[in-house]
Formats: sequence, structure tokens, C-alpha cells
Amino acid sequence: MKPDDYERNHALAAEYVVGTLQGMARQRFERWMMHSARLRRQVWYWERRLQPFNESLPEASPPRGAWQAIEQRLFADSTTRVSAAGWWQSLAAWRWSTGIAMLAVFALLIWTPSPTVVTRYVGVVQSPQAEPLWVVNASADHRLMVKSLPQVQPAAAGRDYELWLLPESGAPVSLTVLPTGDTQLQIQLTDQQVRELLQSRSLAISLEPAGGSPTGQPTGPVVYQTRLIQM
Amino acid sequence: MMAEADDRLVRALAKTAQGDRQAFASLYQQSSQAIFGMCLHLLRDKDEASDVLQETYIQVWHHAGEYHADRGSVMTWMMSIGRYRCLDALRRRRCDVQVDTVIHEPPSEDSGPMENAHDQVDRQRLSDCLKGLDERYRSSIEMAYFRGFTHQELAVAMGQPLGTTKSWIRRGLDVLRRCLGS
Repeated sequence: MKPDDYERNHALAAEYVVGTLQGMARQRFERWMMHSARLRRQVWYWERRLQPFNESLPEASPPRGAWQAIEQRLFADSTTRVSAAGWWQSLAAWRWSTGIAMLAVFALLIWTPSPTVVTRYVGVVQSPQAEPLWVVNASADHRLMVKSLPQVQPAAAGRDYELWLLPESGAPVSLTVLPTGDTQLQIQLTDQQVRELLQSRSLAISLEPAGGSPTGQPTGPVVYQTRLIQM
Repeated sequence: MMAEADDRLVRALAKTAQGDRQAFASLYQQSSQAIFGMCLHLLRDKDEASDVLQETYIQVWHHAGEYHADRGSVMTWMMSIGRYRCLDALRRRRCDVQVDTVIHEPPSEDSGPMENAHDQVDRQRLSDCLKGLDERYRSSIEMAYFRGFTHQELAVAMGQPLGTTKSWIRRGLDVLRRCLGS
């Protein structure tokens, strides 16, 4: 860190603690903090100084089950109260490692149009900075819904994003040109597409000429990939 | 009184760092109401706040040995962990929140929770410095801190161009730092 960056970094540290440093800038800052003791001290300065804000908030009793849940998650192996926690424990561990499941469950909870018993598959397409871009929701009744989140930027002029199903073997299958901005679309899959999707659960997004690939196969770079998770 | 409470927390945290589960339970007992209150205020959702509370204490258990006095008090350290978790949860939620629900969040017209602050030195200093701030700067900082608003949401809520609210936050924090000192 250059000495003349000191003031600028203080400003960034302040916005990090206040919360207005967001997205890629926040993630960059967090990585940077790992390398810079001075930057960490600047963050701690703001945490200490703004702590009275936290203390000014009214206290509230946590739900009774919260402590048991913490114990369960931390010490399940060494207690006898393991019962039905097995699958949830492994899900929790996996969630921490990928950060996707929580997001998928969350997206599913608030976006799925109607609760049904149909098996569902959800995938979240993320940017390299782990920012969610599209949520893909597939159900065994042949519907595939794609929700584009507000932060998805339109492709460059004259280009579109195209969604591909990647079968376990064989060529990619075009599913749709993807929306950008805060919108969603629904498409109907064929029997074969559903079968292939359930087998491979793999989707890819390529950058194509406006309107989609003219050849029926990806012509541009694959910019994102995701796998569907069974819910 | 405060110093005693701080000492108790430091002792409980030190033992927690050595794997003492009893001490960890005592730490939870002493601090969870404040942390849950903060999460509830930011998230406005009991289930989500409870989830973040659990994540916070799990992190506290795993990282208890990393606490040191430069981080501030034990409460400052733990509440910061909780706060960042809340901000993460808000960010996840924001992906699907309709902008309308944000637009209709009224700009804070009261003086904010700081008015409830007691006369403790740190609080007093922050409170004094906030009073000296331009009203627009103060409101922007408080809305960001207490509601987790992004720059964009602040701009919408305050009916100002994005660049304007960004600069209010930046200038406000700069003035605040000069007032708060080291």
C-alpha cells in the first residue's frame, strides 16, 4: 500500500464497516485486508468508533432453539442429541463451502410460483466474484424458468447470452437466449431435454450474436456454467 | 459496571478459545440478546436473524483465539462479526427484493436510534460528532448503517442522484473521522 493511499483507504474502510462498499469492490477489499495489517487496523478503527450505534439498538431475546441449534451444529458428534440432524448437518457444511445452496433455497422460497410436490432443480449462475446473476428453476413437469437478477448487465451491443444444456455426451443443446435486467422467462422442455438435463444437470452460457447462435451450436465463448441442485 | 461486564466477556472468550463449552455457553448468555437485537433490527425477520445469530456464534467458537484488544471490546468484535453476516444476508435477499419495497422505506425523519444512547464516553463522542454533521450526511450514514441501504437504495430513498448520496456518505464519514480523532 502506498503511503498516499492512506486517506483513500480510510474512506474505503469506513464504507466497508458502514456497509455501502458492495459487490466486487467489497470482495476486493476483503482480499486486500488479508494482506494488509494497516488496512485491517483502519477497519477496526471504524468498528470501534461505530460500535455505539450497535449498542444503541434495543436488545431482543433470541428464539429458544437458537442455542440448541448452535450446539447441534458445532458439537453434534460429541452429544447424544444427533437424531435427525444428519442430512441437515451435511447440507450446512456444504452450504458453507459453496455458498450456493442457501441462495438457491432462498431464491426458491421467494420466487417459486406455487408450492407443489413436483421435484425441482435449482441452479444459480454466479459471476467470478460469486455475485448471483441468473436463477434457473427446472421442474420435472418440463418447465424451465430463468430469472435474471437486476445486476445482470446486458451483453455488449449486438450480442446476447444464450443458455445451453450440456448433456453427458454429445453436443450442447440450445435452450434459450437469456433475458437481462430484472426479468424472468419460462420455456417448455422436450422429453429428451428433461432426460438429459436430469442426467447431467449441467448448463452453460455463451456469448452469441444478437438473437442467438446462427449455427445451433455455441459460436462464442462460454462465459458461465452452473449445475442444478435437486431441492 | 461496564468494565466488569467486559472483563467477564474477555474471560469467557479466552476460555472459549481453549475449547471450554461451558464458557462458550456463558458468553452466549451474556451477549446474545444484544447481537440478536441488532440482527433483528437490520433484517426485520426473526427466522433470518436467528440464522445469522447461529452463524455468528459458530464463527465466534472457531475464531475465539483471534480476538485481541485492537479489535475493540469483545462485544465490538462479536457484533462486527454479526453485522457483516447481516449485511451478507441483506445482500442475498436484495437479489430478489422488489425495488418498490425499498422505495417505500421512508427516509428516517426521527433522529435515529442514537438518540437513545446513554452517556457513555464513546457514545457521547459519536453522538456529539453526529450532531455536528450536516443533516444530509448524518441521515445517509445512519440509513446505511441501521438499514443496510446500498448507495443505490439511498439515492432512491432520498430522491437524489446516485453521485450525490455517494458523496454525502463519503464526505460525512470524512468529517466524522476528523471529529472522532484516533
